[in-house]
Amino acid sequence: MTDTKFILVVEDDPILKNLLGHTFAGKYQTLYASDGNEALALFEQYKPSLVLLDLMLPTVGGFEVLQAIRARADEAKSTPVIIVSNLGQESDMEKAMGMGANDYLVKAEVEIEEIVKKIEATLGAVPAPPVAPQATV
Amino acid sequence: MGIRGLLALIFFGTLALAVGFMYGLVSFLKERLFELFPPELWPQADTALQILVLYGMAALVTFTAILLILVFLLMSSLIVRPLDGIIKAMIAFSKEDAKLPLPDTKGTPREIRQLASVYGELVDRVEQVHRHDVEISRIKSDFISTAAHQLRTPLTGIRWALEALEKEDLTESQKALVLNAKEKGKDLVDTVGTLLDITSIESGKHKYDFTLLSMEELITEVANDFAQLAAQSKVSLYYAKSEQPLPTVRADRGRIKWILNNLFENAIRYTPAGGTVRVMADAGDKYVRVKVIDTGIGIEEKDRANIFQRFYRAGNAVTKQNQGNGLGLYISRTIASDHGGDLNFSTNENGPGTTFTLSLPLPR
Repeated sequence: MTDTKFILVVEDDPILKNLLGHTFAGKYQTLYASDGNEALALFEQYKPSLVLLDLMLPTVGGFEVLQAIRARADEAKSTPVIIVSNLGQESDMEKAMGMGANDYLVKAEVEIEEIVKKIEATLGAVPAPPVAPQATV
Repeated sequence: MGIRGLLALIFFGTLALAVGFMYGLVSFLKERLFELFPPELWPQADTALQILVLYGMAALVTFTAILLILVFLLMSSLIVRPLDGIIKAMIAFSKEDAKLPLPDTKGTPREIRQLASVYGELVDRVEQVHRHDVEISRIKSDFISTAAHQLRTPLTGIRWALEALEKEDLTESQKALVLNAKEKGKDLVDTVGTLLDITSIESGKHKYDFTLLSMEELITEVANDFAQLAAQSKVSLYYAKSEQPLPTVRADRGRIKWILNNLFENAIRYTPAGGTVRVMADAGDKYVRVKVIDTGIGIEEKDRANIFQRFYRAGNAVTKQNQGNGLGLYISRTIASDHGGDLNFSTNENGPGTTFTLSLPLPR
């Protein structure tokens, strides 16, 4: 259990969330959050290995989530964060990268395969554990 | 000549006139008056007259000079200095966009006061219009940014769903359909990206991705892309490579390609069937120049000053066949000048048509 790697996917659009889940299923242990508060709560609880973060979120936005993660005192502050957002202005990208995002993908311009590649590259191509934690119950 | 110069001229002119008048008077007196005296008194009379002339002249010159200096100083402080101040403020505003305080015009002639107050109002008006423009442009930029986001979200869903569908067990014809849908989806995403790029280029905030670029290679690529459109329009399109290889330029490949796309497309669209579009490129001391020479309908005299204005479409360009948004040349020129280059055109001297010239600076 201790070396189980979680990926936290923060995405408020249910359909996009499903589509990501469709591809990620069987590849990663994924946690889903649909707003910033939920994302931070899940982050606190599971300390995921990587965060896919949308920026336009209800309640607490993606920039704030990124800021909160980077402001942590423990080692989880350096958790890789890949922004996957449809905000594509250079100013948004610069802001996110300046705040410590590891990568920035414009959602509409990438295929899920490319997101997977980024995840693999960021995680150092460590294969995800194939067994879901629930399976042991 | 300035007002002070003019005053000095009047000053010396008046003095000269006064002195001349005195001389005239004296010679008149000499001629007519001396006849009244006996000849033995003439030397005495002459001396008296000379003294009179000396004193008179001295008094006249002193008096006129004092008077004129007073007028000069008065004019200087009442008219010239306030005018200078207003002119300085005008130059600063028009050249550097700086708003200098206007000189104090209290006690100056009415016209000067009016000039100052009308100019002050004019500056306020200009600033108001400018603020309005900035505001509009910000709102437009925000709107486009939001609209782009709103378009991208559903597009993402469509593209990702197609991507998932593609991996299913599909028949060949189903696969082909999914592929078509994916391609068109990508086109739409690119259009949204272009829309955003145009907005940022227009607002002057675009960050260019400068790399060393071979224009020969890029022109060849664009010419190949347009081969089909040219063939459809029965226009012969060819790229005449220069004998010497072109030096590389430092430029944003995507944006320069965008300019070339616009130039090629315009040239082909506005050239009637049977015409030609010839592309040439050469290098000078400072610039690489790309010329796109068509034998098209040309640009009418009245449109020539305006074709680089945004949203402007020449009278003869607005037809159903020739679609366009009137932004292409405006954005193209903006990109070219952001590169330190220029985009311009000239009417062909021998025969019909127009030549567009894109110049890009050589790296220093």
